[in-house]
Amino acid sequence: MAIEVDSEEALRSVDLSAEIHSAHVSLYGDAGVAGNRLKLIGFDGKFGIIRCSHLKIEESRAALSTVYSVGGVRTAVRVIGVSGTIRGATEKYIPRLSLISADSDGRRIEREKVSGRIVHVHGRQIDLCPDDPCRVKGSDTRYLGLTSFDLRGGYVDADGTADGLRQGDNCIQP
Amino acid sequence: MSFFCEGNVHSLPEGSDSPSRLALEARCLGFGCLIICNHTGFEKVFMPEAASSIQGMEVVMGIEVMAENAKALHSRARSARTRYPFVAVHGGSEEVNRAACEDPSVDLLVHPEEGRKALGIPLVKAAQENDVAIGFDLSPMVCLRSASRSRWMELVRRNLTLIRKFEVPAVITSGAMSHLDLRTPRDLIALAEVVGFETSEAKESLLYPLRILDKNRKSWASPGVEIL
Repeated sequence: MAIEVDSEEALRSVDLSAEIHSAHVSLYGDAGVAGNRLKLIGFDGKFGIIRCSHLKIEESRAALSTVYSVGGVRTAVRVIGVSGTIRGATEKYIPRLSLISADSDGRRIEREKVSGRIVHVHGRQIDLCPDDPCRVKGSDTRYLGLTSFDLRGGYVDADGTADGLRQGDNCIQP
Repeated sequence: MSFFCEGNVHSLPEGSDSPSRLALEARCLGFGCLIICNHTGFEKVFMPEAASSIQGMEVVMGIEVMAENAKALHSRARSARTRYPFVAVHGGSEEVNRAACEDPSVDLLVHPEEGRKALGIPLVKAAQENDVAIGFDLSPMVCLRSASRSRWMELVRRNLTLIRKFEVPAVITSGAMSHLDLRTPRDLIALAEVVGFETSEAKESLLYPLRILDKNRKSWASPGVEIL
């Protein structure tokens, strides 16, 4: 199984592996885990490969979906594809040049309803550390999730381009 | 384009993501439609117009009505009906659950198990008569662990048995407050299967919000009589 991990901070492979095991045991118990042999084989910070029994694909999906946070960092694990071999999954689903590191250059956004420091930029997606921490109170996250579409027309550009952001490798043209 | 619909998510200021970010993430995950149901409605949502820039995604602004008693719920649901294409009700207490099921202006009742009590037969019958769908927010499957999750699953299974018996439509949703809470349709189906849904039922539940939207976009002279 090829997975994509979306998290607010960089994660260590060991922590992710432990959390996946914990979520799996919590959902199916020791007996269920014994019958599946779910294991994180590799993880590059964004994408990973998981080995599991071919008879327990849906169980594995459900267990991976229940990962909520890893070491206190909000995380979502999403299955991007299933293949019969590790090589097949790697070649088919794991991008060769995936963006692992994120920008954090201290740029700011000042809008009427939202203001704060840009933490991550990936294509159109922007994670913003709000000046007012109460803005993220209900969702149990650290950052606000915005897109460059939200900043269009703002008087403060993130980096001087027309839409406030540079073009990323996975941007979506409006 | 996918036809799966995420039927109940919250955006800024209630959640932590703007509608366009949620729409962008939902499109990447394989959804074709996203219904944003903030408790405060459309007016306070941050940059709702930016969501229309996401191609291949239909973003609908609905509302999730909250009320303390039946009277307040009926009046809020009636006033919301004229302004929103999708009206959900945040359930919980038995009084509010019953009022929502008996109100034809309501499309969806979410969190009916929040009061730690399963739905009853009269309530489900009322939902069937008034065409109110029952929402299954699967976020407790992700957030909760051990005993509290078991208790939640027990309540949901009892509700599911009843709505199957009376053929009331179900809607499964991730109840996302941020893009990290969103799950792919296949992941939601896998989670729903753990709760007790059949695969076909879970798929149907992800498609049902689109039918509600289609129904609400038509103009009706009276129940069953459409104005063409």
